[in-house]
Amino acid sequence: MKGFATLLWLEARRSWVWAAALIGSLAFWAWGIEQVRLMQVGERLGVRAILLIVASMTGALVLALMIGRFRSETRGGQYQVLLLTPPSGYVHVGARYTFAAATAIVYYIAIGFLFWWIAEKAGIHLDAASAAQVTLALPLYLMVITILPFLAWVLLWMVFISSYRISGSGWIPGTVMLLGSFFSLRFLVEGLIDIAYRLPSWRLFQNLQTAIDRAAWEAEIEGYGGFIAMPQEPFWVMLALIVVFLALAGRIWQEVEG
Amino acid sequence: MLAKLDQVTKRYIKNEGVRDLTLCFPPGEVVGVLGLNGSGKSTMLKLIAGLLFPTDGRVVVFDGPPRRNRAKIVYLGETDALWPWMTPKDADRFMSGLYPDFDSGRFGELLDALEVPRRKTKTMSKGERGRLRLAMALSRDAKLYLLDEPLAGIDLISREKILSSIVREWHTDETILLSTHEVAEAEGLFERTIFLRDGRLALDAQTEDLRLQGKSVVETFKEVLA
Repeated sequence: MKGFATLLWLEARRSWVWAAALIGSLAFWAWGIEQVRLMQVGERLGVRAILLIVASMTGALVLALMIGRFRSETRGGQYQVLLLTPPSGYVHVGARYTFAAATAIVYYIAIGFLFWWIAEKAGIHLDAASAAQVTLALPLYLMVITILPFLAWVLLWMVFISSYRISGSGWIPGTVMLLGSFFSLRFLVEGLIDIAYRLPSWRLFQNLQTAIDRAAWEAEIEGYGGFIAMPQEPFWVMLALIVVFLALAGRIWQEVEG
Repeated sequence: MLAKLDQVTKRYIKNEGVRDLTLCFPPGEVVGVLGLNGSGKSTMLKLIAGLLFPTDGRVVVFDGPPRRNRAKIVYLGETDALWPWMTPKDADRFMSGLYPDFDSGRFGELLDALEVPRRKTKTMSKGERGRLRLAMALSRDAKLYLLDEPLAGIDLISREKILSSIVREWHTDETILLSTHEVAEAEGLFERTIFLRDGRLALDAQTEDLRLQGKSVVETFKEVLA
């Protein structure tokens, strides 16, 4: 446990500038939202939502760069130092992932709050349960099926490249894994679509329709009687995939030469 | 036996690091590992540390594979691999958090003895960083120390401080393997000297035996490896 805490501290020392810059960038996005002053409420809400989607995608990119900075450690020799420390590869990988995941959780929950804020500004006053869902449940659900497996994959990719550097630049193993990943992603998405909604779905925003109606909007959530049904299969599959990616990265770490 | 190499060969993609090395290291020796550039000194130390795996043969450290016993091995690599933001205080936290045998008190004393400044490594000279790395390594209470070129590129005063710290901190049940090109300065330390040439063992001798033959380590180095 002490080893994990120390490696988490090390990761925080290595990456705090990235994490702080990312979370600080939310002030910029909030300012950007404030600058959208279209007359039509619906258009205003739409543009603001798009800004938040861009913020989410930018966040994913920054987090991937943050967690994937292995090359500098390989070149600088710190990778060798870490390989020889007593904690196992799983602990090293776990600590790196934990810091990135914690940063991601703070960032995306804050984005959830910004979504709640722009809904409020558009006159959609959510009840307490729906507000909690938009700020907590939905960001966490979406993170588990997108950002968190993506970060685990980036971590695995960088450990793979750093470990099996066939050439100096490590481009051969990197390219092989990248191409393989694109094909795998296609099968994964198709498979998830096939199995979605076999298990009972998670109902979010039970009272969203009421809130929309109260805001005198004409939009209607169709088909689900006023709530949004989220399939739980992708959540569990992606959660399992995260564990597999991290286990593989940890295993490679255990076996690699420095 | 602390460490044993049994007919060890390490092949890289284009060349061989070491070939057919068989060596034993009992407790309580200070061993000089000498050779020209590319002779296999670093490869040998990395094999014992568990950073490299042998292509052929077997490396045993503390009765097991080196990687499994990494907590008991101190390896000071030739690469200056400290994070630039790291201060001696950070180094203390890093080492004491990861190595159960790290002694913070001893580390503080060594920092003072080696005159390591308490600032970030990126603002330190190469000699200061070298001394900090040595303090980190010697503050562990291990039985096997692998020091790969701790004197390389370091000024004369720092080299003297490093060598005197190694002498001061060595205990009779510990084995130190030290590779260096500064043969003349370090030869007083060595009880045993291993000479490597092109990845092969050229000579493995007790330093005292060499002296009885009227030869210094430097002279033997020139004779064996020239």
